[in-house]
Amino acid sequence: MPHWAQDLLLALPRIVCGFLLTSSFGADKFGLPWSNPDNGLGLFEVAFWFPNDVAGYGGIFAIAPVFFAWMGAFAEAVGGLLLLLGFQTRIASFLIVCTMLVAIILQQWQQGMWMMLPAMGFLWVGIFYMILGSGRFGVDYLFTKKNK
Amino acid sequence: MKNMICTLVTALLVASCVQENKKQTVTLYVDVSGIKDIKTVGIRGNDKPFSWDNNIEMEVVKKDSLYKKTFEINTGRLCTEIKFTVNGDFELKDKENRKIYFSDSKTTIFRAKFDVVK
Repeated sequence: MPHWAQDLLLALPRIVCGFLLTSSFGADKFGLPWSNPDNGLGLFEVAFWFPNDVAGYGGIFAIAPVFFAWMGAFAEAVGGLLLLLGFQTRIASFLIVCTMLVAIILQQWQQGMWMMLPAMGFLWVGIFYMILGSGRFGVDYLFTKKNK
Repeated sequence: MKNMICTLVTALLVASCVQENKKQTVTLYVDVSGIKDIKTVGIRGNDKPFSWDNNIEMEVVKKDSLYKKTFEINTGRLCTEIKFTVNGDFELKDKENRKIYFSDSKTTIFRAKFDVVK
């Protein structure tokens, strides 16, 4: 963007969504240092109940529920952190977009539009940054600037 | 990109993956002495067999005084959250739920007085 203030404004949705994903949605089902200790999650451990939920989606998810549960939880928890920092933004956004598509289509679809809104919000933000990258206020910018 | 994929694969391989699920046997006692016209004493809570919408009724140990409920729970969490009810009315209104921390021995006994936090 031509002016730093435009980059700052564009960074806000990335920072807010990344923070919400890693601190709340992700940390509830994936072991991170800031996960609630009462949940009893070890580092990088997926919550005991999540693979069962994922298996309930059927098809390929029922064949490898642990893998998909781990990937989904990782995408929210670690992907959210990366999105917040603007580090490997496009990869993190891609993981988040895949996870949100699964959540919308296989988990929330039957429960109506209102229930889909949080996942849809993260989906739009994910698509947006998958195309644009982190912008000036992200770690990626520092690395690419150095390479140039 | 390559580093990111390597990190992801390594993390996936070394991670303990899924949280261990343990069976816990929990016995809850609640003292309701002093409350009049008790018809039912129940529990509502976070984890199965409980829910926040329906009561699970407790057994009478001493009528109008002491009630108990034993249940089994499969969980990886360190605690579960509950509230007691009398005639369907919640205790601890506008206050935090009771947290029942599970014992390492897998058998937990919890005693409480209705509507009183220790």
